[in-house]
Order: sequence, then structure tokens, then C-alpha cells
Amino acid sequence: MALEPRLAAYIATRMPHASDIVVEDLSRISGGASRETYRFRLTWAQDGARQDRKLILRRDPPASLIDTERRIEFEAYRAFRGSAVPVPEMLWLEEESEALDHPFFIAEEIAGFQASPQMLFGPPYVAILPKLGERKWTILAEIAKADPAAIGLADVMPGVAADACWDRELSYWEGVLDDDESQPLPIIRAAIRWLRANPPPPAQKVGVVHGDYRTGNFLYDDAGAIHGILDWEMAHLGDPLEDLGWSLNPVWSFGTGIAGGLLPRAEAIAIWERASGLKADPAALHWWELFNCVKGQAIWVSSARAWLDGGNREPIMVYPPWALQNAQDRAALKVMGRL
Amino acid sequence: MTPAVPAVLAEIAGLALRNAMPDVHPADRASSLGLSAALLGMAAEVWDGTAARLVEENRAVRALLARAGEVGLDFAELAVGDDADLRISSLQAANDALRAALIALQTAAEAKSPTLDADIWAELVASTERRKMAASPV
Repeated sequence: MALEPRLAAYIATRMPHASDIVVEDLSRISGGASRETYRFRLTWAQDGARQDRKLILRRDPPASLIDTERRIEFEAYRAFRGSAVPVPEMLWLEEESEALDHPFFIAEEIAGFQASPQMLFGPPYVAILPKLGERKWTILAEIAKADPAAIGLADVMPGVAADACWDRELSYWEGVLDDDESQPLPIIRAAIRWLRANPPPPAQKVGVVHGDYRTGNFLYDDAGAIHGILDWEMAHLGDPLEDLGWSLNPVWSFGTGIAGGLLPRAEAIAIWERASGLKADPAALHWWELFNCVKGQAIWVSSARAWLDGGNREPIMVYPPWALQNAQDRAALKVMGRL
Repeated sequence: MTPAVPAVLAEIAGLALRNAMPDVHPADRASSLGLSAALLGMAAEVWDGTAARLVEENRAVRALLARAGEVGLDFAELAVGDDADLRISSLQAANDALRAALIALQTAAEAKSPTLDADIWAELVASTERRKMAASPV
């Protein structure tokens, strides 16, 4: 059966006061290597009137480049709803596979804005890059400032001690490399040896880490405003410098040589420090930037593994390893001062 | 590149056939064709140079492995290979074995031979230049 009627039947169970529920204009959004993402329009009858709303379906694929808990992603969005961190409204989470073959969640669509990094570097957006950068790192600072317990995430995300953040993350992603790499990675293995020999200081605070905070994962307009922070599937508790380091990863410069393709690195860090009240100790940030090169490579390697093992043969699984594996090695060399 | 180019091209061929069917949703077809085009472009870029790049890299790594005695290791068997089989799959298999040994060699060199360590880093930097794609973001 087509996806539309199955989706409508599921939503009917969640909207008991609605009738004549119809899913229209369902289309898959390009990208989405960790989840299948669709937009659609929901129409229904209620209180004597016909109503409609634009919604997003995020469904687990058969095999993904990132193995994540969808409940954590769902709850992370919910936790920041109504805060200084703009996020779409989450509606329903389904963790069983009966309804649509795989677990999924449904959220509102924040429509009418752009997410593509490539569009940023031509008119009209190229004129607003500094303003967009200011907003990007200010919002990241708001995530860093958040109290995980106060917004309900300490009950959902596994806790970690301030002096154990680095080891938990490094061990996890090193394990992903051990499991999934199909070719030796001498540069990344050397980076891991250095990271283990030179651990960072304990985190200033254990905060919420978005996990994939980069240009391309937010919705922007041509005035430089950001309307939604997306892709929280790797969110966890940890050192806020981890997110700052990922945002500065050279692979997210899109060839511009500046942070996120938006701002000089020093300006981005200064905005984050000013807005968060936290310090970006240069040595600690250096550690987290190199760590994020390891993490990035692990993600690209996992994407190739999902394709090689036959679990997901979509072209999107090939693009990251082909386009980014060497770039990620080069990024690691740059962070280490060797390129 | 991994997954290997021939396997990806075969998959794209199948995908092109499926996308030729009239019942494919236009948004799905557009997404699929756009990504396929990007992959075909990258495959075209590496096609001519891959064998030469692997031979050059394998020679460079063998020269480093021949110095394993400086740090008390023995990679003599790996260091004398000759890449007689020029199929890319064979060259890549040799490259994988050589770079795995290079990791062990560098781990030892970091503790025992700064000179060898520096020479390994020089080769690793050179290897990323050989593999660099035209549209590399870094």
C-alpha cells in the first residue's frame, strides 16, 4: 500500500476528534542519510470546518550512516520548543514498526526558508553571511547555556561526568571506526593516538550537545534570520566545546576557508563566548576540533559500510565517503598544523 | 574511493532504469538523478588517474616500510612488492595492506624515531594531495 493512506490511518489514531483525514502532496526531501524525510500536507475535518497543516515525516531508513535513538532526537526538539533556540513543533513519535515499516516521528514543517549551504554563496544570500554567522553562533551559545535538567533532557540523555566527556565520545567514535572502516586510515589513527595522549581539561559544564551543528542544518532567510535548528539525531550531554569544534570543522567551510562558510574563525568563537558566558580555551578547543575530524571520518566510513553491507544502496550513502573522506583527512592535517 | 567505483556505477545503472519508469514520483526522481550525477562526475574525475596514483602511493609506502628496522619492526615482505597486477582492485588491496602496516610503523616511530615519523607524515600529506578532488571543501 502507498505511504499516504497508511500515514493518514496512523494520524487518525492520534487525532480522535478529527475526521476525513487526508495526506496530500507527499514528497521526499533530498538528502537525509540518517533518516528518510518527507514533507506533506495534512487536511482534516473538525468542528464543522476543513483544516490543513504542512507537516514533516522523519522515518528510520533500512540502514543508516548514524545509529541513533529517535526518542532522544524527538525529546531534544521538544525541550527547546519555545526557547531562544528555534525548532519545529514535534507532534507524534512512533517507536514501533507496524504503522510505516520503520519507527518515525511527525513534526510541523517550518516552510518557506532555505537550508542548502550551496545557495548561501550567491545572491541574495551572500550579502547576509556575517549576520547569519552572528545568529548561528549565538544560537549555539544558547544551546550551550541550557540546563539539561531544567528542560527535561537529563532524564532522557545518558549522563556523563565533566572529566569523562572526552573519553566517552572518543571511545564511541573510535569504536565506530573499528567496526565500519573498509580501508586503513593512517591520518585519523594518528589523530586518535594524539587525542588519547593529550586529553582536554574537564568540561566547564555538562550541557546539551546538538551533535551536528553546522551550516546546512538550519533554516535561514534572505535577511539573515534563522528559523529552525534541525537534525538533532546525534544530540547528547557533554562538553559544549564539542559543538563549537564541529561547527569549525574545515569540511563545513564549503571551500571558503572561513568558519561554516560564514565568518572568520576568531569572530565565530568570540560570538559564542560572548553569548554563552563560557570560555573557549584554545588548547581545549583544539582537542575538540581534532576529535571532530575523527568523528566526521567515522560518519563517512559508516555511510560507506551501510552501502557495502547492502542495507542501504541509496546514492546518498555513497556521496559522503566519496566527497568527504579525503577532505576530512585534509581537515585533520590542517587542525594538526601539518597542511 | 570506497565503495569501489565499478560497484557504484552498476548500482547507478540500475537506478537509472528504475527512474525511467513513469510511476516514479518527480521529487524522488529529481533527488536520485541529482545525486547520481554528482557521483558520476566524481567517478569520471578519478577514472584516468587511479591506477597511477595507487602505484605511486604503494611505492612511497614500501620505501617507508623498508625502514622498519629503524624502530625494531620487520615489514620486509610487504616492502618488496611490485604491483605487477595493474587492476585497480589488486592495487587497492595492496594499498590497504601497506597502509595498515604504515599505521603500525608510525605508532612505533612516534616513540623511537622522530625522523621516520616526519617522513611518514610527509607521505601522508602527499597522499591527501594525490587523492584531492576538484570540488574538495578543504
